[in-house]
Amino acid sequence: MSPNYWEGELEMVRLLLRFSEEIVDQPIVSELILEFKAPINIITALVNSKGGEVLAEVPQEAADKIVKALRKRGVKVSLPKLIEVDAEKCISCGSCVALCPVEAIAFDEHASVVFNKEKCVGSTCSACVDACPVRAIKSVKQTNHELSYTAAKGALGKQ
Amino acid sequence: MGELKLKPQKNTRTIEEINAKIRKGDAQVLTAEEMKKLVESSSIEVAFKEVDVVTTGTFGAMCSSGAVINLGHSDPPIKIDKAWMNDVPVCHPGAAVDLYIGATAMSETQAYEYGGGHLIEDLVKGKEVELRATAYGTDCYPRNSIRTNLTKDDLNQFYLLNFRNGYQRYNCAVNSRDETIYTYMGKLLPKMRNATYSGAGELNPLMNDPDYETIGIGTRIFLGGAQGYIIGEGTQHEAKSQNGTLMVRGDAKKMSPEFLRGASFTRYGTTLYVGLGVPIPILNEGLAKKTAIRDEEIFTNVVDYGVPRRNRPKLAKVSYKELKSGAITVGDKKIRVSSLSSLKMARQIATTLKKWIEEGTFFLTAPVERLPLDTTFKPMKQTETTSFVKNVMQMAVTCKETEEVRTIAERIVSKSVNHIVAVDNAGKLIGIVTSWDVTRAMAQGKTQLADIMTRRVFTAKPDEPLEMASKRMAEHNISALPVINDEKKVLGIVTSEDVAKLLGRRT
Repeated sequence: MSPNYWEGELEMVRLLLRFSEEIVDQPIVSELILEFKAPINIITALVNSKGGEVLAEVPQEAADKIVKALRKRGVKVSLPKLIEVDAEKCISCGSCVALCPVEAIAFDEHASVVFNKEKCVGSTCSACVDACPVRAIKSVKQTNHELSYTAAKGALGKQ
Repeated sequence: MGELKLKPQKNTRTIEEINAKIRKGDAQVLTAEEMKKLVESSSIEVAFKEVDVVTTGTFGAMCSSGAVINLGHSDPPIKIDKAWMNDVPVCHPGAAVDLYIGATAMSETQAYEYGGGHLIEDLVKGKEVELRATAYGTDCYPRNSIRTNLTKDDLNQFYLLNFRNGYQRYNCAVNSRDETIYTYMGKLLPKMRNATYSGAGELNPLMNDPDYETIGIGTRIFLGGAQGYIIGEGTQHEAKSQNGTLMVRGDAKKMSPEFLRGASFTRYGTTLYVGLGVPIPILNEGLAKKTAIRDEEIFTNVVDYGVPRRNRPKLAKVSYKELKSGAITVGDKKIRVSSLSSLKMARQIATTLKKWIEEGTFFLTAPVERLPLDTTFKPMKQTETTSFVKNVMQMAVTCKETEEVRTIAERIVSKSVNHIVAVDNAGKLIGIVTSWDVTRAMAQGKTQLADIMTRRVFTAKPDEPLEMASKRMAEHNISALPVINDEKKVLGIVTSEDVAKLLGRRT
């Protein structure tokens, strides 16, 4: 029986998928959702006839096999860096707030700056990083070490 | 009806009376935000009767900040000529071992990321810092150099001495250019895609006493988490336009790193976030009314920082209420806005100051001299003329997109220029072609201008300082910029040769 990826709290891993001109018209993501019965959430997508770049989120437990399957179909997969905010350092000035294109950073009712990791598109944007006067915002590697290892190896293998 | 009051209502109170109440622990203190709510829900009369002190606060980047330190004498002694602390150059404005750490001085090894502001924060935290100094040596101060590690406990004096803090209000900044710019007002996205502002609005100290009735030399304040003093008006103080500022001093050894934070503004430099709060004694109903001021009554200008001139265009007037709402409107454009100063920290400062007064650890002082109401902020007198793009630009040699490469080549020779600007029928810029482009096109056998011209053109505006245009050419490794107006109409061209000639004349 295949594991159920659709229920409960799932630890998700973010992947950056690059589709070449040759494969951009194939329904690869849909096929994999059906094949592995796992959710693949598209966070951002930049696609045209010349190719595409998609930021997606997959369950950590299924990540390895999904990455393998994506690569088999010619998709270039890498682990994007994520944005992390050091709450200890943050002074809630707000320098980052209006720069965030997806409103992942906002003021709460106490004028504290709050960061919504779910909404953030990660290092592909990074508009906030160099705007933080106390350098509380950093672009960091995802902590899923095993995957970052295999992904790095896979990416190198392709070059 | 017509009854005489048995006890005449007293309509003033004194600072001595308030201090007596503080001593007894029954002074009534509200933060400025609480005061506004009280006045709204009751009346000014009631607020005056019930409230003795209103506390204010602000926490923002204040570049004109710094610290005076005295090191004590070494053996043999040194009269410091040049000095660095953690690689940040510090000033030596006075005698042998007195130094001034300026917040904006940048580390020589970590420029933009570490500076005087961070150095002050590190000292306040109790961290050890490295001092290096050199000297020319005298009979009384023979030493030529010194290197030592110090903490704040090793210093005789460590005073925060800020010559301009607590601006009453400040500009809201936008950027009309096509590129992101990095300023002291933070990161400004192209085409006015964001706006930044600074200041606490209705919580700002001077805004709650705009006639400086209670504020002046000797006013005891909250400064960097400790008690400090106002020592006069700040530099650039201008009361009439509601742009008052404060000069302040306090014992940095007693301050807290929570309220003094070193900061880096990318591609601008380092600075210091300063926490500052002023208690306003409610001496009369007038002050009760003034401390009830709301964000919607405090206005500032939206200023285009994309124009690198002293008189930057003012695009709109907005209230602090709009600024704090997260969006402003300029013309028909809605722009997302957020602050550079921290409202959360400003509130914390006003609340902390309130607590100190309630607990009887902070007493009010009457100023020995009030802040001036008549000073103005003049522009700099300049005795040398500055060069602008319009002063050096030349007529541009132009062409149409439909012309052939051969014709362009002939024009380059006959006009003896290196750049031909392509324009449409209305004279608007559409591209540029250089003698190099033409040579290469001929070598490759290309004949149509449309195939070889550059369409993404870096340009200059006539009123831009020449330094800006010259910097742009160097940054993009190009040798000329078409000069255009706001409608993209070509007015001329400025070349690196023209700039070099002008610089040559100067020296």
